[in-house]
Amino acid sequence: MKKIIAIFMRDIKSNTRDFIAMYILLIPFIFGVIINLLVPSVNETTLNFAFIEGENPSQVEYLENFAKITLVDDYQALEERVNRRDEVVGIFNDDGLYTILVQGNESEQTNKFAKALLMFEQNDVDYKDANANIYDFGKTVNPMKSLFVNLLLLMIGVLGGMLIGINIVEEKVDNTISAVNVTPISRVGFIIGKSIIGLILPIYGSFALVYLTGFSDINVLQLIVLSLVGSFVGIVVGFFEGTKNTDIMEVAASIKALFIPVFGCVAAIEFLSDKWQWLFYWLPWYWVYKGNGALLANEATWSQIGLYSLFIMIPSVLVFIYLKAGIKKGLE
Amino acid sequence: MKLWHSFLKELKLGSKSFYFYMELLMAVIIIVILTMVVPENFESKANEYIFLDLDSNFEEMFIDSIYASSDNVTLEETILEIGKDEFNVDLYETDEKRIYIFDNEVDMKKTAEKKKSLGVTIKLQDNGMFFDYYLQGYESEKFINIVKSVHVLDAVTMQAEYDKIPVKSLGGTQDVLTDRENLLPLFLYFNGSLMGLFIIAAYIFLDKGEGVIRAYAITASKVSTYLLSKVLLLSVTSLVTSFAVTFAVMGFDFNFLGLFILVLTSGFFVSIIGLILSSYYSNIMQSFGVLYILIILLSLPAIAYNIPAWNPAWIQAIPTHYMIIGFKEIIIENGDFMYVALTSLVFLLMSIALMPVATYRFKKTLTVGG
Repeated sequence: MKKIIAIFMRDIKSNTRDFIAMYILLIPFIFGVIINLLVPSVNETTLNFAFIEGENPSQVEYLENFAKITLVDDYQALEERVNRRDEVVGIFNDDGLYTILVQGNESEQTNKFAKALLMFEQNDVDYKDANANIYDFGKTVNPMKSLFVNLLLLMIGVLGGMLIGINIVEEKVDNTISAVNVTPISRVGFIIGKSIIGLILPIYGSFALVYLTGFSDINVLQLIVLSLVGSFVGIVVGFFEGTKNTDIMEVAASIKALFIPVFGCVAAIEFLSDKWQWLFYWLPWYWVYKGNGALLANEATWSQIGLYSLFIMIPSVLVFIYLKAGIKKGLE
Repeated sequence: MKLWHSFLKELKLGSKSFYFYMELLMAVIIIVILTMVVPENFESKANEYIFLDLDSNFEEMFIDSIYASSDNVTLEETILEIGKDEFNVDLYETDEKRIYIFDNEVDMKKTAEKKKSLGVTIKLQDNGMFFDYYLQGYESEKFINIVKSVHVLDAVTMQAEYDKIPVKSLGGTQDVLTDRENLLPLFLYFNGSLMGLFIIAAYIFLDKGEGVIRAYAITASKVSTYLLSKVLLLSVTSLVTSFAVTFAVMGFDFNFLGLFILVLTSGFFVSIIGLILSSYYSNIMQSFGVLYILIILLSLPAIAYNIPAWNPAWIQAIPTHYMIIGFKEIIIENGDFMYVALTSLVFLLMSIALMPVATYRFKKTLTVGG
């Protein structure tokens, strides 16, 4: 045990020198800040209108209740604004008739939406007179925010594995593994020592990110379980990359390739219909993302977490068994 | 001439490397995913969950309004599975949405909550229809105001007034890309351009480790020649994979020249940034955190690409925004070639301006970590 800790401490020491300790601490914070800055503005997005300043201030005031407003100096500036690549729709007075100005490439939904809002304004529709009541289910967390946090939880786990892979290959290139082979540390001890970084980053990172982004009321035990099994995937991938690759270029190519299945799982869950989901069942990241999604929505049951953990562990253990012989050779 | 020889040497070595074959394999995987797994168009119909607390006259009136809203309406009595629950519903499917009519309010609310969708109870009040909306709770004030405003005027007046609103178009044409084709710019910028940042750094650290960079100090060849030959090698690999993926998805319907110059110049620009960054570190482990964070930051415009109405000014300050839009212009019908050419020119000029910085950094740090 002492020797394992010695390996880990040696990694920490060299990693501190290499700034790794710093970004282990920093990465979840940077991710958290990005999410906190990004999500409110995405959530507020409905439609963007541009008006000629001073043409009809009361119209602008009315439509501010529904859309984001930009003011421009004159009609020419309005055309220029609408013609830009983002989706901004203009409203202007065309010989006494208020008209929607579009670029022509907007989606049908945007055009319908813009027409409806101007129609409300032209007919003095007051939403306070509506024949409608609004109730809600009390959910305050935007699904977009859950999506970003979930995606970055996955990325932090993957990063742990990448660091292990790079670390092992660098040890190989520097011939320090041969040196370790003649010390009293066993190979198992060496592997465990190397794995600790892949364990600490996802667990610390998950907690930091989740709390920083305001998901503090989730089930902490479930988060620990999912982070642990998720970090096991990272460790196995890290050892796979570390033992199969012989130089930095190879490990870089493997890391680049790793983004395909990781992003593929996210895209499958978010965009693909149910009939295609089975194609991704064998990938552990699919279940990590699914599990974290249920966890962030406060909807995860223990049987669900248990089942997902099993699906995460099975392919990872199989790869680990396959790697076992290779690790011995690969670490030489 | 030296650059040409250096590039040919790199190409010869590179074509035998694991990295080159890995790139080709990735291109094949991307092609398989895009053409066989990703559907031509994603499901885009909205779901509405409704309970009608109305008498038979008003119920009939409401159902008639569904049929009046679309040319193609189908009705199916079906069972909706929500987790372990099963609900009997009448499903009306129009061109734009699926309307599920429930026989009780509890089931409707349960479904709307689980499916994170809109739920409505329509009841009678003051001899007219009144709507109780069930939202999730995170919707913005602006969205709620819109939902409420729909129920101020009666439907006939609303349609008549809506039809009166004039629309003037500046002549643009609607993008006719399928959802699958729409994903292509994201693959092109990520695989072809953005990842060049990381790959060039790995190349440099590999050579640093093997002492190649140090050896350059005592050859007649310039450091800039060495760096450029690396960048060119990456560019050739990116060109091969980008063209392969674009051919597979678009056939011959894209701007060849546009793709050629944008892949080349955007890859060149990203590689130079990667070179400058890598010059500050002595191994890939040191630089990895910075590269990782940078790749995540440079990926943010991909979010704006998927949400056209959300496009804050700071997103437009990120260079990858222009890469994604440029790649889109290359594949859409009547795409704006001038935009692609100008974007490419700016990337080229920025690369040329930054190249001396990279060369200076490498001259200065030839021996760091070598």
